[in-house]
Amino acid sequence: MQNAKDSFYMALRNRLAAINPERTILLRGTVRPGILVEEAEATFAQLPTDVFVVRWLGLALDMDLASSMAAEECEILYQTCGTQSFGGLDRGRCLSAMDEELKSMLQPFFTPKLNYTATPPAAMLTNVFWDEPALASAVVQRDQLSRSAKVTVYSYQEQGE
Amino acid sequence: MSDTAPRNPVSAPQRMADALLRSMTGTSALLRVTGANADTNMSELGLVATTFADVVVSPVVLRKLRPTWKEAGESKWELMISATGVQQQVNALDLASAQALFAMTLAVTVGDQDYLIESIASNEAFGQVYLYRLLLRKAHQQAV
Repeated sequence: MQNAKDSFYMALRNRLAAINPERTILLRGTVRPGILVEEAEATFAQLPTDVFVVRWLGLALDMDLASSMAAEECEILYQTCGTQSFGGLDRGRCLSAMDEELKSMLQPFFTPKLNYTATPPAAMLTNVFWDEPALASAVVQRDQLSRSAKVTVYSYQEQGE
Repeated sequence: MSDTAPRNPVSAPQRMADALLRSMTGTSALLRVTGANADTNMSELGLVATTFADVVVSPVVLRKLRPTWKEAGESKWELMISATGVQQQVNALDLASAQALFAMTLAVTVGDQDYLIESIASNEAFGQVYLYRLLLRKAHQQAV
């Protein structure tokens, strides 16, 4: 499953870098595309704003198939307070922009599965694929708008996984 | 009678805070800070261990906050850190501010216990910070 999780994140990360190169985050001394895997970073007292946070939740397995298939529930959280130049009054527009970016990041709904423990990453035989995102209602918390989207990511278990 | 000493009066609160922290069994704390990692792909996936460094700040005083019972709640702790101690490390690491130092801190170690930072506050006098107060909670034991 880890290869599928890594491939899904890297696909989103690379697509975001192409869609909006200006959405970046300075994390651990490195400027990188504005998306991160929550479980691969230090704990956050508060989630960072204006970036996408990938959180892995549920896991289901279908072992009745010729190859076992894993389905992992992924939650993508994002929040914004708007921009300083607009005094935060554009926070609705910023959230809409992030909605659009998320929609674009998730298309197409598949990516090749790679093994990132190898250097360079080794291509595997199958693809990782996912369904359409289920977007939750926006949550207003004083000056902050946030939203989460849930996606189920599917992958076949290959030899050695 | 006026104070005609050539000392900068603005730094008096800092010296007083340092003296008080030292007198209250002031100890030292280790801030575990992360270094930049060249291989961002691997580090973003949690595949390679990030380089860490322990930054010593002192004097500090750690106190348990007044317990307020909460279901499954954890105790919280407050770490009072000398602003001069923090500033020394900010200068040594060539950082822009104390906030930058705390932002790159993964955990705070006092004694043998690791703590995670929940929030950061500071006390100022004459426009200068003389004390940083970190709200902490105990970190869970990590696998060896």
